[in-house]
Amino acid sequence: MKPLVVIGGGPAGYVAAITAARQGKQVTLIEQKDLGGTCLNEGCMPTKSLLASAEAYEKIKQAEQFGITLPLEQVKINWDGVQHHKTAIVKKLVQGIGYLMRKNSIKVMKGEASFLTNHRLAVRNENQVEEVEAEQFIIAAGSEPASLPFAPFDGKWIIHSGQAMSLPAIPSSLLIVGGGVIGCEFASIYSQMGAKVTIVEAADQLLPGEDADIAFTLQEELEKKGVAIYTSALLTEMQPENKKALFKHKEELHELQAEYALISIGRKPRVLGLGLEQVGVHFSKQGIDVNEHMQTNVPNIYACGDVVGGIQLAHVAFHEGTVAALHACGKDKSVNYRAVPRCIYTHPEIASVGMTEKQARSEYGDIRVGEFSFTANGKAMIANNPVGKVKVIVEPQFNEIIGLSIVGAHATELIGQGTIMLHGELTTDVMEDFIAAHPTLSEAIHEALLQSTGQAVHS
Amino acid sequence: MAAEVVMPKLGMAMKEGTVSTWNKKVGDSVSKGDMIASINSEKIEMEIEAPQDGVILDILVQEDVGVPPGTIICYVGNPNEQLTEQNRSANELQAPKNEVAATISLEEPPANAASSKKSKETVRISPIARKIAESENIDIETIKGTGPKGRITKADVEKVLAERAAEASHPPAERDNPAINKETLPVAGMRKVIASRMHNSLLNSAQLTINMRADVTDLLSLQQEIKEVTQQRHKVKISLTDFIARACVLSLQEHKQMNSAYIDNEIHLYNHVHLGMAVALENGLVVPVMQHAEKMSLVELAAEIKTRAGDARQGQLSTDRMQGSTFTITNLGTYGVEYFTPVLNPPETGILGVGATEDVPMYQGDELQRRSLLPLSLTFDHRVLDGAPAANFLGTIKQYLEQPILLLL
Repeated sequence: MKPLVVIGGGPAGYVAAITAARQGKQVTLIEQKDLGGTCLNEGCMPTKSLLASAEAYEKIKQAEQFGITLPLEQVKINWDGVQHHKTAIVKKLVQGIGYLMRKNSIKVMKGEASFLTNHRLAVRNENQVEEVEAEQFIIAAGSEPASLPFAPFDGKWIIHSGQAMSLPAIPSSLLIVGGGVIGCEFASIYSQMGAKVTIVEAADQLLPGEDADIAFTLQEELEKKGVAIYTSALLTEMQPENKKALFKHKEELHELQAEYALISIGRKPRVLGLGLEQVGVHFSKQGIDVNEHMQTNVPNIYACGDVVGGIQLAHVAFHEGTVAALHACGKDKSVNYRAVPRCIYTHPEIASVGMTEKQARSEYGDIRVGEFSFTANGKAMIANNPVGKVKVIVEPQFNEIIGLSIVGAHATELIGQGTIMLHGELTTDVMEDFIAAHPTLSEAIHEALLQSTGQAVHS
Repeated sequence: MAAEVVMPKLGMAMKEGTVSTWNKKVGDSVSKGDMIASINSEKIEMEIEAPQDGVILDILVQEDVGVPPGTIICYVGNPNEQLTEQNRSANELQAPKNEVAATISLEEPPANAASSKKSKETVRISPIARKIAESENIDIETIKGTGPKGRITKADVEKVLAERAAEASHPPAERDNPAINKETLPVAGMRKVIASRMHNSLLNSAQLTINMRADVTDLLSLQQEIKEVTQQRHKVKISLTDFIARACVLSLQEHKQMNSAYIDNEIHLYNHVHLGMAVALENGLVVPVMQHAEKMSLVELAAEIKTRAGDARQGQLSTDRMQGSTFTITNLGTYGVEYFTPVLNPPETGILGVGATEDVPMYQGDELQRRSLLPLSLTFDHRVLDGAPAANFLGTIKQYLEQPILLLL
């Protein structure tokens, strides 16, 4: 058994560790905080827990429409209870990863790792330093929230996403700088819980990576909940002492006071402090350079997940971790980004895979677009959630399905169908005879596909 | 009435035949007995003659498309004769009752013959990759798939297209260079079958060759002694090859592991010995099989070898006489080759290469003698057995050849 060390216990790291261990490697995993990384402790899982609480609250408030009478004035959010629900789930999941480590005989070390040579690491834990030798290494150090140069996080007023999910109480008002995935998710959570939320986004739309019509559906829904949204807006000044921010929108200077200011302008790879310079691993502030096997320029050192930049999603990290570990174990494995789903857990949810309509038009020129609205979908109406639509993008020459975007309830679950279509490189004719269960939200996907070829039945 | 020309059945086991070359095209006049096409099945290649005078009315099976025996491959009739529904139903009646033959009709373009289509349908390929390949006339069987389990993806097809484009924009230097005089031959017919089988053999097994020399001085003397007798009594002239074949058969019965095949991760050991003997033809190579060679005496084996080799040279070897071999011998001695590395005849475990006998001075005890040494090269599949048992097997052959009396018992 040849020893392999994984630096970082997040989605890329723990999956890489398990994969390598199952290939017969003697694996050590080094993590400075809790297993599970950002996803489990400060990202995906806790935010989804908060969203679930917010949505449950929203649903209960709609009880009357389902024929249920409640003393609505007594329905209130117990913030401690919301936090407890979140913490309990995170704890359980972290324990689950600990169990997987033990089950796969992976040694877990606590501490901060940095390379001394390309076969030796120093692991610092408080005042103790231990050296670890190995034949191969997989760096999965993750990322951290990017801050504004003129407004560093203080944890009191200027906060990052990790801090935003554990506030002492539901804030009365919240300024969100950055209308990307994280900003929109927090806007959704806190607006449903009653906070006065304002989003300031530099781009001309929310979620700049998605189509404008999809993002606009979310914008409308957020605005219905009282969220003030300023796009093409530039933040100019932050005054922590007054809890006041200044931003420019349409040539006008706006002044805004909020209980907290959440900065959600992206995440930066954790490339510093790892001693990469020491061993000559090539990297930049965008991340560590790797090839298609997730191998750095130093052949016995791999890197995967957020630390390499690229697509910073947990499921991409899982895949990259697997590829890195298998290649380190001698398997000829390469990364496959053929169909990466993008999920945004807002209310309504947004999920997409492949090209957006905008990207497809610039790549192919004329394309076919099929759409079906949830307003015409029985299941969505029954759930009192007839908001949003499915949009399918089809390349015109061979009818290849090249993109699918969904905005609406359960979009993040429904997108699995699109992921399969794009991963399998399916064409619309393959899907024409597909039978979608009725009544389901899935029918909207089939109808959108049929519409792209002019065969829609229900529209 | 138009005469049908059908794919002949060249042996009991023949399931498919391929037209390797059409010598005539639709509208060409033919006389009875004219060669109209070459067909091949397994390693056999033969000519098809026109059954009557007339013209080629229609060709139903294109070159390199496999069809079952009995399938009509063309019609020969009068110049202005129209093919009728009767022809069509005759075709349906005559063709074997299976889906492959049933799809061959006058309406169906021959290029879509079902057997070929079926093999293409079993290729793992994504729908979009298939569509692009079809639109660009890329044979999907030639594309290397990089998806799961070798599935061909869009990127794989696009890679082929990019390579084509690069080739077109940068033709090889010699293409337009008058100083380079070259000829390009298509790989078709028997050459195609051999190319594919030999390549697959090397790709799909772990081949190792070991060499040994046998002192055949006494054997050659014995051959001289019995030559006349066998010729008179049995009408067979026993050659050195016959002795070697007999030595192989006896050795294979003692070393069962060599008389075996590696099939689907299982080793099949045989009690019978179906001995293959490679025979060089003008345009290729065939391997007639001496079935149940273990039941034959030296004389019977020699007679069988001569009959089968003769059949092979005359193109009269049926496909079932070329199948089922459990071990093969190949002899390049007549070409002066000493040692060589024979390629396994899959799925067999071993093949013996025989080189040219060489006379050398050798000590027999204290006395220097002129001895004849025969180089033997044994290629074996290392997945089935290791070097030591393979060497033992070759040693046993050597022993038999050096004590030739044992070959007569």
